[in-house]
Amino acid sequence: MKLTRRTLLAAASAASLLALPLVAEAQNLPRNMRMVIGSKSTGGDTYQNSAIVADALSEKLGINIKVDAVGATEAFKALARDSRGTTIMIFHDQSYLANLYGVTGYDDPFENYTVGPTVAINPGNAYLVPADSPYQSMEDILAAAEAGTRVRVAIQPGGVSEIGFSALKNAAKLRAPGSEENIVPVNTGSQSDKNQAMWDDLADVINGSIQANEQFTQLPADDAKAMRFVWITARPETLEQAPEAGMGGTSRADMLAHASPQTSVTLDGEKDFTFDKEFFLLFNKEMDPEIAAAIDTALGEIFAEGQIQERQKAAFFIPNYLSAEEARAHLQEKRDAYEKVISEISGGS
Amino acid sequence: MGDLTRVTIDFETSHLVFPILIAIILGLLGLAIAIRDRARIAAAVPYWRRTLAAMDKPRFLGTIALTLVYFSAMVPVGDIWPNTGLGFLLCSIPYILATGLLFMHERRPRQVLPLVVVALAGPVFVWWLFTYPLFLTLP
Amino acid sequence: MFEFITPLFLSLILGGTMVGIIFGAIPGMTATMAVAVSLPLTYSLGLENGLALLLGLYVGGISGGLVPAVLLGIPGTPSSITTTFDGYPMAQRGEGETALRIGIIASFAGGIISLVVLWLFAPTLADFAIKFSYVEKFLIILFALTVMAALSKDMLMGIFSGVLGIFISLIGTYDVSSGGNGELRLVPPGTEYWLESGFSLLPVLIGLFGLAAILEQAELGVPKGHSAKDIKVGAHASFSFSVFRGQVVNLLRSGGIGTFVGILPGVGGSAASIIAYTNAKTFSRRPERFGKGEPAGIIASEAGNNGLTGGALVPLLSLGIPGDSTTALLIGAFTLQGVQVGPLFIGNNPDTWNAMIIAMLVANVAMLVMMYVAIRWFALVVTIPKHILFPVILMMCVIGAYTINYGIMFDVWTLAIFGIFGWLAGKLRLEIAPFIIGFILGPSAEIYFVKSLESFGDLTIFFTKSWIAMLLWVLIIGSVVVSVLLARKARRDGQGGEEA
Repeated sequence: MKLTRRTLLAAASAASLLALPLVAEAQNLPRNMRMVIGSKSTGGDTYQNSAIVADALSEKLGINIKVDAVGATEAFKALARDSRGTTIMIFHDQSYLANLYGVTGYDDPFENYTVGPTVAINPGNAYLVPADSPYQSMEDILAAAEAGTRVRVAIQPGGVSEIGFSALKNAAKLRAPGSEENIVPVNTGSQSDKNQAMWDDLADVINGSIQANEQFTQLPADDAKAMRFVWITARPETLEQAPEAGMGGTSRADMLAHASPQTSVTLDGEKDFTFDKEFFLLFNKEMDPEIAAAIDTALGEIFAEGQIQERQKAAFFIPNYLSAEEARAHLQEKRDAYEKVISEISGGS
Repeated sequence: MGDLTRVTIDFETSHLVFPILIAIILGLLGLAIAIRDRARIAAAVPYWRRTLAAMDKPRFLGTIALTLVYFSAMVPVGDIWPNTGLGFLLCSIPYILATGLLFMHERRPRQVLPLVVVALAGPVFVWWLFTYPLFLTLP
Repeated sequence: MFEFITPLFLSLILGGTMVGIIFGAIPGMTATMAVAVSLPLTYSLGLENGLALLLGLYVGGISGGLVPAVLLGIPGTPSSITTTFDGYPMAQRGEGETALRIGIIASFAGGIISLVVLWLFAPTLADFAIKFSYVEKFLIILFALTVMAALSKDMLMGIFSGVLGIFISLIGTYDVSSGGNGELRLVPPGTEYWLESGFSLLPVLIGLFGLAAILEQAELGVPKGHSAKDIKVGAHASFSFSVFRGQVVNLLRSGGIGTFVGILPGVGGSAASIIAYTNAKTFSRRPERFGKGEPAGIIASEAGNNGLTGGALVPLLSLGIPGDSTTALLIGAFTLQGVQVGPLFIGNNPDTWNAMIIAMLVANVAMLVMMYVAIRWFALVVTIPKHILFPVILMMCVIGAYTINYGIMFDVWTLAIFGIFGWLAGKLRLEIAPFIIGFILGPSAEIYFVKSLESFGDLTIFFTKSWIAMLLWVLIIGSVVVSVLLARKARRDGQGGEEA
C-alpha cells in the first residue's frame, strides 16, 4: 500500500528535514518539489497522468513530489514565481492553444517557459452525432455545409475542444470557400453541457471523448441518449498503440475507422488534420538547466524500464516519451501548424 | 409582441449581460434603501463614533493586525525551505500564542500553560497531518 | 454475489466514514477534500475496496458539517450553511444537543431516502434529468434564490445583500469551463493578477462565518469564560423523537429534493440544502419560526444535504457525469482502475454497483451510530476556553482556505477580506445569510440565464419551455408570496412591540 511507503518516507524525512542541507547533493535537485497542473480537478486526465509521472519520478530521484491541481492560470503563476526548480508543471496542448485563441491569462508557453519532455497522449478527442443523425461521416457534414445547411457543433471555446472545430471549418473552406460559414459553434462548457446541447437539439455535432462518450454509442438506437462517433482526431499511429480490444464495445479497428486516413478532414488539401492531446512538462525559464536535465534523464530511464507504460495504458493513455529537445521541436511544429489553421479561418471571416 | 421579447446575445460580449443586469437591480435596491433609511444613513457618523467607543480596541484591532502579519509572513518564511510547509508551522505557533494571550483576561501561568501547549502541539500536529498522511501543500 | 463483502471492505467503510465526519466537522475542511486526498490510495486497494473508502468519506464528510454549524454557528462544509440558521439559535437557547440529534437523524434519513432512490430508479431518473435544459436549471436556481427573501430579517436589506452576493460572485472571468467566454469583468484595474478567477467559495464562507464571528467577539473583548455557558450542551438534554412528529413529510420532501438536486448535473451540491430549506419554509405551517431555532429547518437542511449523496451518484453511474464536486473525483477512482462510467455501467458491472449500494448503506448506518455516540465528545468543543478555541479555529480556517484549491495564497487573503467584510456587514445591517446564498448561486444563475437566451433568443422561453418550467414558476411564486405575507405579518406584529 502506498500509505505505508509514504508514511515511512514521512517519518524518515520528518526527522532529517531540518538537519539536512536543502538540496540533494548528487544532482543539485530540490528535495521537495511541487508539480502544479493545468487542471483544477483531481479526477481528470491531467491529474492522473501527472500522478503517474510524479510517483515514478519521485521514486527514481529520491525526492518528494506533490501534485497540486491548482488550474491553468494559477499553475502558470506559480511556475513563473519560482525559478529555483522547486515548482514544475504538467499540462497539455491547451497551454499553447489557448494562447493561439487569445484566451485571457494565457501567455505563449514557448516564449515564457521552458517546454520539457512529453510523457503521454490522451487519444480520446472525438466528435459525435446523435444516433439518428442524417450525418454518417465527416464527408456528409462537409457536404451539408457546402449545400448550405447549417451544422451546429458544440464545443468549449478556446482550446483543445475548439481545435478540431477550427480544422473542420478550415477543411470546409478548402473544399468550397464560403461553406465554412455554415459550420457554426455552439459554445458550451463541460462534457455534460455538450451532451445536453445534443439532447436539447441545440447542436448537430458535439465534441467529446472516447472515454466519456463511448458507452453512449453502445446504447440501442431508440434510446434518446444514443450517439455515434463521426471523427476521432488522434493520429493513426497513436491509435495503433491502444489496446486491440479498444474501450468498451468499441474496438481499436472501430476507432481507426473514424480517424485519419479512413476518416479524412484535410489540413491543406494534401495532409489530414490530426490532433493528439499530449501531456508535457513545463519549467521556469530561469530554472537551473541541470535540474531540467536530471528530470529528463530520469524520465528517459523510467520509460526505458517499461513499468510506467503499463500504468498509463491501464488508464487508456498512450505512453509518449520524447526528450525535452525532441518534445520542444515536435510541439513547436504542431503549434505552428495549428496557428495556420486558426489564422486561415479567422482571416476569411 | 413577439419582437419585444426577442433577445440576441453575442457570445463575445455575453460576459457583460448578467453583471449589467445585476448591477441595475443592485442600484435600484440601493436607491430604495437610501430613500427608506435616509435618517439612519444621516446618523452614520455618530453611530460609528459610538461603535468605536464601545469597542474593545486592543483586542479587535490586535486580532486584525496579528492576522494580517500572520498571513503576510507565511509565504516569505515558507520560501526559505520551499515546499515543506514550514512557513505555516513557524508562523502558526507564535500566532496562536499571541492571539491566545490577547484574548485572555487573566494571564496567570496556570491559564497560560495550556495555551502554550496548544500553540505548540496544534500547529505541529496539523503540519504533520497535512504534510505526510494527507500529502497536501502548505505555505 | 456478495463476495466483495470482506472485513477489509467493511473496515474501509467504517474508517472512511469516521475520517469523513472529522473532515466535515472541521471548518474549512470538506468532504471533497477528504475524497481528493484519499483518491491515490484507492489505486492499490482495488475498485470495490477503494469505493468503500471513498463513499464512507463522502457520507461522513457531508454529515460531519452539521456539528460546527450547530455548536459554533460556523458551517463545517458549504452544504451545511442552512443548518446554522436554526441549529445555532437552538444551541444558544441551550438545545444544542437536541439540535445535533435532530440533525444526525435527519441526515441519516436523507441518506437512506436517496440511497433507495439510487438503487431503484437510477437510470429512469437520469433520463428525466436530461429533460432539464438551461431554462429549467435557471428556474431551479431562481427558486433557490427566493429563499433570500424568506431568510431576510429586513426584506429590502436582505434582498440587497443577496443581490450583492451575486454581484461579487461574478467578479473575475466568465468561466470557460462552464460555458462562458473567458472574458474578465468587474475586476478593478490593477487587480487582474489576483482576481482573474474571482473569489472562491470556501474562503469566502469561512471568512464570513469564522473570522467575522471571532472579530465580533474580539470587538466585545472576548467575554470571559467558555462558551458552554451560552450553549449548555449536556445540560441534561431530554431528547425525544416527538420533535419528528409532523415532520415526516418534511423529511421525505427534503430528502427527495436533495436527491433530485444531486441528480441534476451542474446545479451544485450546496444548492440542495438551500432548496430543501426554502421548500420547508414555504410549506410550513409556522414559517415565521424559521431562522430562530426551528427544528424543521435543521431537518430540511440536513435531510437535503445528505439526500445529495445518493442523488449525485445517479448521473455519475448512469450518464458518466458527476452530480457534484465530490462525485467528480469518484470518476477518477473508476478511470484509475480502467473502468468506464456511462449509461452501461450498472449493467456491465453489477458487482461494483452492488458494492456501492452496500457501502453507502453501511456508511449511512455507521454515520448514524458514530455521530450519535460522539455527541458528548462534540459537545466538549464548547467547553474549550475561547482564548484557545478561537486561535485554533483561525488556524484551521487558514489551512482550509489554503488547501481547498491546492495551495493558492490569494484564497487566504480572500478569507481575510471576507472576514472583515462580514464584521462590517453586521454594522451596516447587511445580512450574511442571503449574501452567501447569492454568492453560491450567482455563477450558476448567470450561466443558465445567459445560455437560455443565447440558445433560444426569446424571453418567453422561460415560461413556455416545458411543463417543468411552469411547475417551477408555481413554486417560485409560492415561495415569494409566502415571504411577502410573512414580512407583512411580522411588521403588523412588530408595531405592537419594539421592532420586527
